[in-house]
Amino acid sequence: MKPALLAFVAALPLLAACGGENQRLVGNDEYGDWRQGRARNRPQGASAGIVVFGVDKDREAREAAASGGGSGLSVNAYLWRATLDTLSFMPLASADPFGGTIITDWYSPPSANGERFRAQAYVLGRQLRSDGVRVQVFRQTLDHGQWVDSPVSVSTNSDLEDKVLARARELRSQSASR
Amino acid sequence: MRKILLGTTAVVGAALLAPAVAEAQEAPTVRIGGFFRAYYGNTQQSGRNSTVPSGLATNTSGATANLAQSPFSIAGTTNPTNPSVPTTESNVGTGTGQVARLSKNDFSTDAEVHVFVNGKTANGLSYGAVVEIAFNQQEGRNIVQQRASTGKTTASIDEMYAFIASPMWGQIRFGDEDGPVGGLMNSGVITNFGTGGIYGDRESFVTRQANVRTTTSPGSLGDNTKIIYLSPQFFGFDFGASFAFNYNEGEDTGCPSNQSSGWCDTSYAFTGAANFGIAAAGPNQSVRRNEYQGAVRWRGSLAGVGLSVTGGYVGSGAAKELSPLNVQRSVFQPLGVWQVGAQASAYGFTVGAQYEHGASNFFWGNLQKGDRPMDQFFAGASYTVGPFTVGGNYLIQTVEGASRTTFGYNAAGALTATNNAAGAAMMRRLGYGIGANYRLAPGLDIVAEYSSYTVAERGRDLDPSNPGVQDRNTAKVFILGTRLAF
Repeated sequence: MKPALLAFVAALPLLAACGGENQRLVGNDEYGDWRQGRARNRPQGASAGIVVFGVDKDREAREAAASGGGSGLSVNAYLWRATLDTLSFMPLASADPFGGTIITDWYSPPSANGERFRAQAYVLGRQLRSDGVRVQVFRQTLDHGQWVDSPVSVSTNSDLEDKVLARARELRSQSASR
Repeated sequence: MRKILLGTTAVVGAALLAPAVAEAQEAPTVRIGGFFRAYYGNTQQSGRNSTVPSGLATNTSGATANLAQSPFSIAGTTNPTNPSVPTTESNVGTGTGQVARLSKNDFSTDAEVHVFVNGKTANGLSYGAVVEIAFNQQEGRNIVQQRASTGKTTASIDEMYAFIASPMWGQIRFGDEDGPVGGLMNSGVITNFGTGGIYGDRESFVTRQANVRTTTSPGSLGDNTKIIYLSPQFFGFDFGASFAFNYNEGEDTGCPSNQSSGWCDTSYAFTGAANFGIAAAGPNQSVRRNEYQGAVRWRGSLAGVGLSVTGGYVGSGAAKELSPLNVQRSVFQPLGVWQVGAQASAYGFTVGAQYEHGASNFFWGNLQKGDRPMDQFFAGASYTVGPFTVGGNYLIQTVEGASRTTFGYNAAGALTATNNAAGAAMMRRLGYGIGANYRLAPGLDIVAEYSSYTVAERGRDLDPSNPGVQDRNTAKVFILGTRLAF
């Protein structure tokens, strides 16, 4: 009896390997959790709980999916849309959703003659995070009929970034409530 | 034999560790999860009375004396620990006794913190470990001395195991974990409403009087230290098998002294084994030895209805009774229970049923020789719509109550077996639970539940603390509370 049992036990994984294409690994969350059934209603197995050490791949994947992973964007869709929205008052020169760059053409605000601006924005990744966008503003002033580079106030870049982030947050909360 | 074992081990090892598809290695992550729950409970229970203590720990400085009832003198008392206090109706005299009702109302909190480690090797093997820290090790505060006590909420380990899994070969879990039959792969056990209905948290409110507390749920088969193999799923089928040497868990041999006693889980024979068919309250100590489980499960869908069917078997040997004359005698039957269950779900409805039959006592204990097998039928249904889930479940069990044989020793030290007249009838244990929960947020539930559980055995007094013969006892529990899983 015992040798037969042992042989059977040894044969189990070999038998299991016969499935071929119809075979898949059973996830850890597909087994019962019999702590009197109390720890239900939460993701189990590999995605249970909150990551305290290491990279949360599930969260990355989730956010990538939520931010339009299937829409052909390789950067965060909220940040991308928000950047486009924020810089929409300027004419667009180029926008590359794969590289995540948006470059505007020179733009002169009606209120300020003899001054023009251009902006470059970089969306830096798939995740919606505060350091996920960089905005660089260039300014030129008309000096004796000649456009010359002039400095931008230090806060301009970060102000624009804040605007982008605020808009991104808006977009996200809108899509989350749907 | 040993050669076969070594050979197969090598094959399995090589197969498991063989490089499969080249996949990106993933650094391990450590996650924290778990749950917290707080309930109000209202309990109506037969024999839910405060009677005289039957051996409460006391110490010389009197630290616990105020927790025990004051002794008094009455003629004909026979309390072994405190001769002046009566213990049962038989020595209370005219049957008035020191009996007071217990409160029906209580709050109950519980929490567990789970640590999950998950990683993946370069060749696609996933691995990890799970450690579940629980805070319900003791049913009451354990006071040893005036300033030496262990709290009721002392931390302990519920389950802890490591696993290694490959899409090709399946998964091996090694550690303190439920088995395939004892919780991992069951079908038809519908408990996804309230706190779980008859298998829910009702035990937190029921006192041990008359034994209307313990159910034979799959999870109570035990998370003793075992090695578990779980297959991949192929053509809808997956299967699992496990083996454990004994009923205990955790580190060390489980033998706190050099005596071969019931407190040593590796002893194959010890004096008084006949009393350990069911684990003593608290520690996972019983006569169960060499436990094995096997289960096959099929899952699929037919015309939009999700189906799951499981069949399984759990078996084990038992430690023997060791007489003072150094004679070993087997007083237990091997544990051997068949289990089959099925469930179907569609449109938010889930219905299921499970049937179990075999040699087992009411709490997965080995049956004594001559005792009759257990039969248990469980059925349940639930319905989920939006954030609401409602459901109910029901179980009926017939099982040997009082054992048909009483084992003891005669004056010469030889084991005696006498027929137990009280063991003529079968014990019936039946109960039902209905419950609902409302999901406030992912993981956060408001739960309400009502359950009733009855133990009945014709002709046997199930509540010896009260006068008369109570051959039927019931505990009804209403629970209202909240549970947060994180």
